[in-house]
Amino acid sequence: MLKKTAINKISELAAVLMEKGTLIAPVKEVSGHNFAQILDPQKVDLDFYNTIMSPKSAFFPHKEDFINYKVGKPISEAEPVVLNLKPMFLFGVRPCDVKSFQIMDIHFNAAGIIDPYWRQRREATTIFGYAFDLSKSVDSADFYNTLGIYAADPDGSDIFMVKKDNELLLKGITLQGKKLLSELTTIENGKAADKKYFEEYIKKGRDYKTRFMCLDQETITKKLEDIFHNTDFWTRVSSACLSCGVCTFVCPTCYCFDICDDTQFGRGTRRRVWDACMFTDFTLEASGHNPRTQVYQRLRQKINHKYSYHVRKYGVISCVGCGRCTRYCPVSIDIYSIIEEAIKT
Amino acid sequence: MSASNPYIPIPVQISKIINEVDTNDIKTFRFTFLNKEDEKKFKYLPGQFAELSIYGKGESPIGIASSPTNSGYVEFTVQRAGTIVPGLVTSALHDLDEGAQIGLRGPLGNSWPIEYLTKKNIVVVGGGFAFTTLRSLINYMLHKDNRARFGEITVIYGARTPGLLLYKDELAAWEKRKDIKSIITVDKGDESWRGREGFVPAVCKDVAPSPKNAVAVICGPPIMIKFTLPVFFELSFSQENILTSLEMRMKCGIGKCGRCNVGSKYVCTDGPIFSLADLDGLPRDF
Amino acid sequence: MADFKKIEENLKKEAKRLLEAGEVTVVLAYSKGFDEKHPMPYAAKSVADIKNIVFNEYCNHNMARYLVRYPQGTKIAVAVKAADSRAVIQLIQEEKVKRENLVLLGIPVYGMKNSKTGEVIDSKTTSGLCNPVLYDILLGAEVHGQKIVSPYEVLAEYEAMDKDARWEFWKNQLDKCIRCYACRKACPMCYCDPCFIDQSKPRWADKAPQSPGNMMYHLTRFHHLAGRCIDCGECSRACPVDIPLYLFHKKVAKECEEMFGQAAGMKLEDKPVLVDFRVEDSDKILE
Repeated sequence: MLKKTAINKISELAAVLMEKGTLIAPVKEVSGHNFAQILDPQKVDLDFYNTIMSPKSAFFPHKEDFINYKVGKPISEAEPVVLNLKPMFLFGVRPCDVKSFQIMDIHFNAAGIIDPYWRQRREATTIFGYAFDLSKSVDSADFYNTLGIYAADPDGSDIFMVKKDNELLLKGITLQGKKLLSELTTIENGKAADKKYFEEYIKKGRDYKTRFMCLDQETITKKLEDIFHNTDFWTRVSSACLSCGVCTFVCPTCYCFDICDDTQFGRGTRRRVWDACMFTDFTLEASGHNPRTQVYQRLRQKINHKYSYHVRKYGVISCVGCGRCTRYCPVSIDIYSIIEEAIKT
Repeated sequence: MSASNPYIPIPVQISKIINEVDTNDIKTFRFTFLNKEDEKKFKYLPGQFAELSIYGKGESPIGIASSPTNSGYVEFTVQRAGTIVPGLVTSALHDLDEGAQIGLRGPLGNSWPIEYLTKKNIVVVGGGFAFTTLRSLINYMLHKDNRARFGEITVIYGARTPGLLLYKDELAAWEKRKDIKSIITVDKGDESWRGREGFVPAVCKDVAPSPKNAVAVICGPPIMIKFTLPVFFELSFSQENILTSLEMRMKCGIGKCGRCNVGSKYVCTDGPIFSLADLDGLPRDF
Repeated sequence: MADFKKIEENLKKEAKRLLEAGEVTVVLAYSKGFDEKHPMPYAAKSVADIKNIVFNEYCNHNMARYLVRYPQGTKIAVAVKAADSRAVIQLIQEEKVKRENLVLLGIPVYGMKNSKTGEVIDSKTTSGLCNPVLYDILLGAEVHGQKIVSPYEVLAEYEAMDKDARWEFWKNQLDKCIRCYACRKACPMCYCDPCFIDQSKPRWADKAPQSPGNMMYHLTRFHHLAGRCIDCGECSRACPVDIPLYLFHKKVAKECEEMFGQAAGMKLEDKPVLVDFRVEDSDKILE
């Protein structure tokens, strides 16, 4: 099934989705676009390259409250936070970011103990993937081709969207997506020419080139294991690193968090909050021992986690090449270059 | 752990507090479960840990010091932590009295590999405060239902001073038993100390346990481990047969928060118990 | 436009000379990044590293930020633009580094650009100076004849706001903060270890990126930099969500300058203004 709508009527589609549940879509902010819960359908803005923050916050918000309590009161009176989710529509997600959900699913929703918050949010959500605009130039930081992802990959989306001049074509990919699309009666059906355009667009997406290197999963994993103790290498590639948290916070596949108690005026909340392996105190133990006091150790942890540990643990590289870490790094540290250099080392 | 949500602690009550050492900064807390159902679900083995949870302060991962053969309660021996990073939870816990309620999440992590240890001679080596899950293991093995499953049990336990030895009553009881060889040592004794003096590594060398069909289970401060391991290598214990429990900063305890990894292993779920052979395959990042 | 190529050549030449002569063990400069617009801070430690050194209009980073990373006593050559040299002076005043351990490679320059926006960096987000305040070797001709604009001129709009409007302004801006701490990490003057915000006893603020904690972090940091901020603007450029942190820093710097007649990092012989007590100091702060 393929439907279409004029891009300047996107707010009408947004309004319909808002009636059905919660709509999360890109909005324009001062510094660029970001995903946000839509309260005013006019705010949905698809004129973006990619968002600053990844859409992971739809399933793994920066802060997630676990339980509310009163300090000094019996623990049995504490109240766990119940999510009570309405159907959620995550609208306008780039293919590389859609891929990140599949990677995060392994960690939160398949392996070992299941994370109830991720699972509930994920299950409530229909994903509207959105192909990159092939008529615009690719950002020099992106390298999702290296991870086997293409600019117009519908894989992982429930509904996939491509832009055709001033129109938006929407195609149902999964059963869930097809069902939802059939319920969207206010938008018109696509014609044969639209279908052709859509299919060709997907194909053409393969020719839209980001940075690329031939990256064999096992080779890079093994390589990183081999050079773990090559302090010269890690010191060199991290010499500019400020050890801030930008790369991890904008990353769609970074999932480290802290669990914090926040109390004010006798009321408290226990919640999880994103944390970053780049922070000095991330591994600081109560004894004062810290296995990663040096910047190079922390950057090494981050890169190994994505390209080595994650492969050993879950069988897949935990990076989608969206380029955000490179793009927003205050000192332009480029994970792609580091991996490239590691292979040569 | 709450039925549906692994992040929500179950309520427990402090039924007993034992001041273990003369410096007053290590206490054993005995908890009873407020809900019978939670108690039934809290099935653990020696070596596992749990998150002690105090609302308003946070959570702290602590090894379980009681043995699963002790029914009706669970015990944790807790040091008031933190000279550099103040231990908010352990300090708060030390300030609580019997009857107070706190939260508990667990049991977490792997355990001493009971099946692997079965029919083997067990050499337990402990130092100072890091004796808690070893005590759990010893009491588990000594239980009348379990004792026959294990071979000879040798315990070498040391502390800096006699006053710093944990579980003094139990140590005395073990010395009287015939089915456990218990060697207690202190770095430096006092007037009333009539036992051994000497560092744990030296005592191990002196006792020289046979590696034949034996497994060494070692926990202690890093410096003790560092000097004890060579002794066991010299005694020809293989890397597979030397086990230890790792410490890393943990938060969630269930392998999700990404904090306690050593290479591709999470200490909270793949550990805390590792054999030296396991550790050999991991990067030195702990 | 400044002659960037010439500066790069001189930078390489001096770096080579200093490393070869063993006068320094490291030269803090810039190297090529993943593209032309994204050069990176670079630590050249051997003659072989020299070839990697670059200098172009996107080399904004304040290399003084890296000085405290090296053990006291390390002989370091550092490339300094105007604001960077002020950071060095301020660090010397605060006894974090010693003058005799440093070789300052001064870069007189204007027309630097923000790699994110492409905008020319001028007195709006920085102090707007072109020539290093302190240097040992100058890598290009001093810049003269550029229009001099007060670094505080950009404050006019902000100062026109009343108290409530300012509160509203900062509340909105700081609500955007994601607490990545890039601002403090990019700042040459933020060297506290641990930073107050990382302490757990007392815990000064919640870790979650929400209003009270964000306010606590930024307002405290703003005040901690009072009289110390040398107006390089790196905090604002490092910010992934473009919070105009420079506005607050400039406002505080302006007040400090008016009260105490001293700007941060301008003279080696100055004492940090909030450390130095003088009988004639303004009492305005008490009013």
